[in-house]
Amino acid sequence: MPDLSRRSFGGLAAALVLDGCSRAFPKGANGEEQRLNFYNWDTYIGETTLGDFSKATGVDVRMSHYANNDELFARLRAGNPGFDVIVPSNEFVTRLQISGMLSPLDHARIPNRANLAPEFVDVPYDPGRRWSMPYTWLALGIGYRKSRVEGVPDSWKWVLDSDRYSGRIGLLAEGDDLIRLGAKYLGHSVNAVTPAIMEQVTQMLIRQKRHVKLFHHDEGQDLLASGEIDLVVEYNGDIAQVMADDDDLAFVIPREGTLINSDCLCVPTGAPRPDNAHRFINYLLDAKVGAEIAKTIRFPTPNAAALALMPEEYRTNQVIFPTGPAMAKSGYGRFQGIGHIRAVEEAITRVMAA
Amino acid sequence: MKGPLDYLARWPLWLWLAMVGAFLYLPLLALVVFSFNDSRRITVWRGFSLRWYAELFDDGELVAAFGNSLVIAAASTIISLILGTLAALLLWRFRFAGKAPLEALLGLPIVVPEICLGVAFLVFFTAIVPWPTELPWPLNLGAIIIAHATFSFSFVALVVRARLASFDGALAEAARDLGAGEWLIFRDIMVPHMVPGLVAGALLAFTLSLDDFVITFFTSGPDTITFPIKVYSMVRFSVTPAVNAASTLLILLTAGLTALALWLQGADIAKQAA
Amino acid sequence: MMLQRPSQAPGVFAAVGLPPVVWLFALFLAPLAVIWAYSFGENRTLVDIAITGSWGNYARALKPLYLAILLKSMGFAALTTLLCFILGLPVALAITFAGRRAKLLLLVAIMLPFWTNLLIRTYALMAILRTEGLINAGLGALWGLVPGLPPFEPLPLINNNFAVVVGLVYVHLPFMVLPLYAALDRLDRSLIEASLDLGAGHLATLWRVVVPLALPGIVSGIIITFIPALGAYLTPDLLGGTNSQMIANVIERQFRSANDWPFGAALSFLLMYLTFAALLIQALISRREGAR
Repeated sequence: MPDLSRRSFGGLAAALVLDGCSRAFPKGANGEEQRLNFYNWDTYIGETTLGDFSKATGVDVRMSHYANNDELFARLRAGNPGFDVIVPSNEFVTRLQISGMLSPLDHARIPNRANLAPEFVDVPYDPGRRWSMPYTWLALGIGYRKSRVEGVPDSWKWVLDSDRYSGRIGLLAEGDDLIRLGAKYLGHSVNAVTPAIMEQVTQMLIRQKRHVKLFHHDEGQDLLASGEIDLVVEYNGDIAQVMADDDDLAFVIPREGTLINSDCLCVPTGAPRPDNAHRFINYLLDAKVGAEIAKTIRFPTPNAAALALMPEEYRTNQVIFPTGPAMAKSGYGRFQGIGHIRAVEEAITRVMAA
Repeated sequence: MKGPLDYLARWPLWLWLAMVGAFLYLPLLALVVFSFNDSRRITVWRGFSLRWYAELFDDGELVAAFGNSLVIAAASTIISLILGTLAALLLWRFRFAGKAPLEALLGLPIVVPEICLGVAFLVFFTAIVPWPTELPWPLNLGAIIIAHATFSFSFVALVVRARLASFDGALAEAARDLGAGEWLIFRDIMVPHMVPGLVAGALLAFTLSLDDFVITFFTSGPDTITFPIKVYSMVRFSVTPAVNAASTLLILLTAGLTALALWLQGADIAKQAA
Repeated sequence: MMLQRPSQAPGVFAAVGLPPVVWLFALFLAPLAVIWAYSFGENRTLVDIAITGSWGNYARALKPLYLAILLKSMGFAALTTLLCFILGLPVALAITFAGRRAKLLLLVAIMLPFWTNLLIRTYALMAILRTEGLINAGLGALWGLVPGLPPFEPLPLINNNFAVVVGLVYVHLPFMVLPLYAALDRLDRSLIEASLDLGAGHLATLWRVVVPLALPGIVSGIIITFIPALGAYLTPDLLGGTNSQMIANVIERQFRSANDWPFGAALSFLLMYLTFAALLIQALISRREGAR
């Protein structure tokens, strides 16, 4: 976070006091206070993006972060505590929208949406992009340490249904994703998890659990890099980040196909500064800005114009932009109702308790 | 002179004591030592360095979190001191219907599992009485302050009540006979006697608030992060000696306060014995 | 001192009585009551909860799956309490019979870790127990000194039940020592000396004389170790492995990722009822001892 790292102890104290005296931000031409509360994933922004936006528009951005979608949802559940832009994943765009927690986007104020790659213009979880604009997309796969693994572990079997790497496997703690991947491995669609399939997957996970070393909450890439585990279920961008420092690491999309996600920019209901929010979203969709962000976070960008500006190394990186038959079999997860959430929760509790 | 009960002088017990002591202190010692490690690793010593402490002071988020923790601790200490003292006075002076149930009720915050209190406050402050949003600092910490004060004022009441038990009511009676009003009696006679209990209670409440994790975990938000919460996310995601350094500082702070409390208690006990 | 009736000093009674009582009701009982009400509710939509008065959540909480977790948590707590007792009793004895200066020093030494933040203590243990933690690093170094041995395999000391129990004992040991010391300190030493004079060994004296006399204190120590250990969240979260979840972790999940507040509320209250049961047992025992 560029702003905060510059503060010294004394400066912070002064800033806190000033904040407490409800220092009023001047109002801009759009009648809104010249600031913005951005609720985002941790380190999911370019190094200078926020500062650059401030310089270009005069709007001060304050970024807070959440660790996962559930935290975001829980935070907004009882009412928007003042956030202007949030970054939920695709399934949560649906959840937030049906709960009336999102404001529709005004496309007239987001001309940069023309930069988007065609496959992101109209998506099943948000037809016509009424509620969201894509920020990144991501795919789950297996990150592994080449020297400790035989060949390329290109099937979910090696982490979900095999004892070959017993004691060296790390799985995602995210129950929903785990169940979906299990279903994919067994040959089903990620969105057709019937109770019977859920039971099958649960049993498989219970059997596999004794070979699993740990369940991580999105720090899987660090555990892989530190040698704590040799195979991990993680997102392609996260693994790409640690691969930059360690040649012995690699990533593969299992051949059965995988779950694709997309983190999207949305304006929650009750955002105090909707116009600034739109300006910010539009700014993030700019080609140069998008390229800056992609360079830092190493996740695939849905922004075709930004992609064109990226170096060859990024565009052809098989980890960041996986291609091949496995991807053809992959798809987005869809929200399947409260009953399904409860069933997943119970299944995961059973797996954890076994 | 070795008596039959002089257990400490016997080597089996002494050894046991030493082992337990090692068990309790070695991890903490290692923690402090490695906070000075000149390397990113927390288990391989490379050399002495203060860089992690410097990094702490540069980390605006951590400093802000620490500031939050201090403010919350101070505010909740004041509130629990007042409430706890009043409760202690009530139970010490009066006899009334429902006194026994009230005493039991007062003991509840101490025994209710922290997780239950945490979720209760979460629900209460989000769904029932939503704490207003976008409040300027430090008012936005209000929910956490209230939660902390609630679970610590029972402790304060306990400590102050223990202190009141040794108060000689005859002094107050004499003052009353001489025409002094209630407030004067309270201020000039009772409070001086209660001071050691008040100080102990205040230090107790302050430390409880500073250390709390679970209840704060549920009542805090992204803009009201406290020190233990921030350290938790550091432990989860980026384990470097910076965490050790932050921990060492917190240990020093609470150890210092504890030492102060015990010294005051000790001085008080000595004065009483004299 | 003569206790007054409220009517004798109504102004003072109101002044000292109202603030704490009102606070207790409005900001302690009320939130708990809300949770209690929610435990009888259901999720209507992702954000709306309807209080339907159904016992469904409790029924679900008593299903074998959750009951097993509850029992496992009680098992962890019981084991922790036992270990704390075994470790702590000699320590309490040593403190009780130490000289005045040593006594104060030892008490402070035992209490100091207690005053340290729980998170920090758990983190300190993590650094010791990890795969490349201090114990394994030390053992590995020693192993390496002996030529001709196969490469050192680090011991799995973390992310499993062992680590959780070690962590729980580490955190709760001071809780046990203090009440034990308080109880032992109040004992009439002449009884112990008499027992020793009559020829009973130290262990026999301990078992036959000390423990029965100090029983209320011992029970106190057991209870105030058992209850927090039962509701532990952080220790299993940081030190535990794939099958170390305790009841508090399950409760936390209901409120944060499962979005199922009614069920989480039911589980919380189950934990509370267990807590009250333990307290009741303690009260009964101490009343029986008091009557003796």
